[in-house]
Amino acid sequence: MNEKVPKIIMEVKNINLRFGGVVAIQGVSFDIHEGEIRAIIGPNGAGKSSMLNVINGFYHPQEGEIWFDGQKRPSMEPYEVAKTGIARTFQNIALFKGMTTIENVMTGRQLQMNKNIFWQMLRYGPAIEEEVQHRKRCEEIIDFLEINHIRKTPVGSLPYGLQKRVELARALAMEPNLLLLDEPMAGMNVEEKQDMSRFIVEVNEEFGTTIALIEHDMAVVMDLADRVVVLDYGKLLADGTPKEVQSNQAVIDAYLGVPH
Amino acid sequence: MFYKETGQFKSRYKDELAAFPLFEDKIGIGILCVLTFLVIPMFGLPGLNYEFAMGAIMIPCMIFIIMTLGLNILLGFAGQISLGTGAFSGVGAYAFYKFITIFPDINIIIALVLSGLVSAVVGVIFGLPSLKIKGFYLIVATLAAQFFLTWAFIRVAWLYNYNASGAIEGPNKEMFGIIMIGPQSAGMTRYYFVLVTLIVLTWLASNVIRGRIGRSWMMIRDMDIAAELIGIRPLVAKLSAFAFSSFYIGIAGALMVFFWLGAAEAESFDINHSFLYLFMVIIGGLGSITGSYMGAIFVWVVPVLIKEIGKSAFGFDAFVMENFSTILLGAMIIIILILEPHGLARLWQIAKQKLRLWPFPY
Repeated sequence: MNEKVPKIIMEVKNINLRFGGVVAIQGVSFDIHEGEIRAIIGPNGAGKSSMLNVINGFYHPQEGEIWFDGQKRPSMEPYEVAKTGIARTFQNIALFKGMTTIENVMTGRQLQMNKNIFWQMLRYGPAIEEEVQHRKRCEEIIDFLEINHIRKTPVGSLPYGLQKRVELARALAMEPNLLLLDEPMAGMNVEEKQDMSRFIVEVNEEFGTTIALIEHDMAVVMDLADRVVVLDYGKLLADGTPKEVQSNQAVIDAYLGVPH
Repeated sequence: MFYKETGQFKSRYKDELAAFPLFEDKIGIGILCVLTFLVIPMFGLPGLNYEFAMGAIMIPCMIFIIMTLGLNILLGFAGQISLGTGAFSGVGAYAFYKFITIFPDINIIIALVLSGLVSAVVGVIFGLPSLKIKGFYLIVATLAAQFFLTWAFIRVAWLYNYNASGAIEGPNKEMFGIIMIGPQSAGMTRYYFVLVTLIVLTWLASNVIRGRIGRSWMMIRDMDIAAELIGIRPLVAKLSAFAFSSFYIGIAGALMVFFWLGAAEAESFDINHSFLYLFMVIIGGLGSITGSYMGAIFVWVVPVLIKEIGKSAFGFDAFVMENFSTILLGAMIIIILILEPHGLARLWQIAKQKLRLWPFPY
């Protein structure tokens, strides 16, 4: 990360999200610098996933602005957000269960493919060239994440940790500018967590992808993240480097509780 | 299978992406082609009357395979349930009838493609509710299409050219100097026409399914939220599936009337037929082209064979056998679905897996 002039890739300003009378997010603002790993933490129900859903276009906040790549973003549908280069993985795995690993990864290339139905029907000339070219890229990603051996296995039958990795591969296949990871290490054992952390760091360093991740494992967060946002009850509690956040009294209170 | 992938290395992705990457599969398909193109037209099916084998088994089977392919694209690959198949096939048949009566000189292939396209448009219109509703509620919406269209086939006299009988009939019509359809056409020409259509349509469907568009359908089927996040517009994916599927079903409907039945009324497109096609897809296996073949063949051929065997071997009369075959088919469907809910295609896969190791179980 360039300390002197960090370029802001995404900024959310004063987001308010309500479902009827329930306030999910209340006046939250933060930014994400290009090339950094930004962690979003907070107790359960703090509005972390809602925040990602707002960025993704699933939820449309009642108030607030989202700035992406230096421009104010109009209200967008998820498929439009995908076109701007934001990829995401889910807390509960959202893979295409009926398809194999390679097919799942190939789905990440959908937006880059554009040959029309007639070429597709013939599967000849441009259509097959396109298919081969994207297949190559996908194989590289599969190599990178070390899932070659399950290339042709239907993902529904894979163990949990591998499914998470396939989901990451699918998101990487989109070659995103901003990668949102919703609890990439939930439910993993120590070894799987180490692998996953290594992949996240490598993605960040090798591809220069900006990453925003939600995670509950504090050790992981403190190791990986360049900066941390803390949410609690839909409000911004703290924002800063892991060190600053760790020593913040409000954060300690939110996690450990305050004596009454 | 008794052969396996081992030792057949591909050095280019293009080779691996081929329809039949394995050498033995290519031989198998070659044998099937020889059988269907040469052996069956010459000798018929073993133990059956030649006319019967062609007219009551081979031709309808191939037409129903196209129908099943169409419905499988919608139901098995895109995950949208439809009970309007019968009606959409009717749209294809009536459109074909209008095309060949309004333009008597039209080429049959062009008329067939055009009637498929008409069916596709109607399919898209009745597929619009799928954007908002899913599952059981979508069944109800497509049921509306089924009832509305069969009503139209009866009430809108323009569709059957104000015939007194209310039926559509194939006039004699030539293509390249050979009579293709109508009472004077030879069973052999119709057989070859349907066979070639089936092969072309199967090839096109397998191509689409393995490409970008096919993947977008499967994405919508498996996890629509994630699909949207990757940039799939549900509108485009769902409606293209409806269009593609109805195109196939429309062509199958036109073939059914003009290359097999010879004449048809609205009853040939009623809800019972929609159910029949749904059975074929489910028995065969959702989301599988081989399954479409197996399901259509199984559901159509088994009752016909039971009837034949009952008549010739035990001397039962036709009505008894009619009911008996229905009962037996129902029982077999239940047994198959209990044994393997994913249909015959999965059973076939399991058999292949087992045969790889055979005769050594480990």
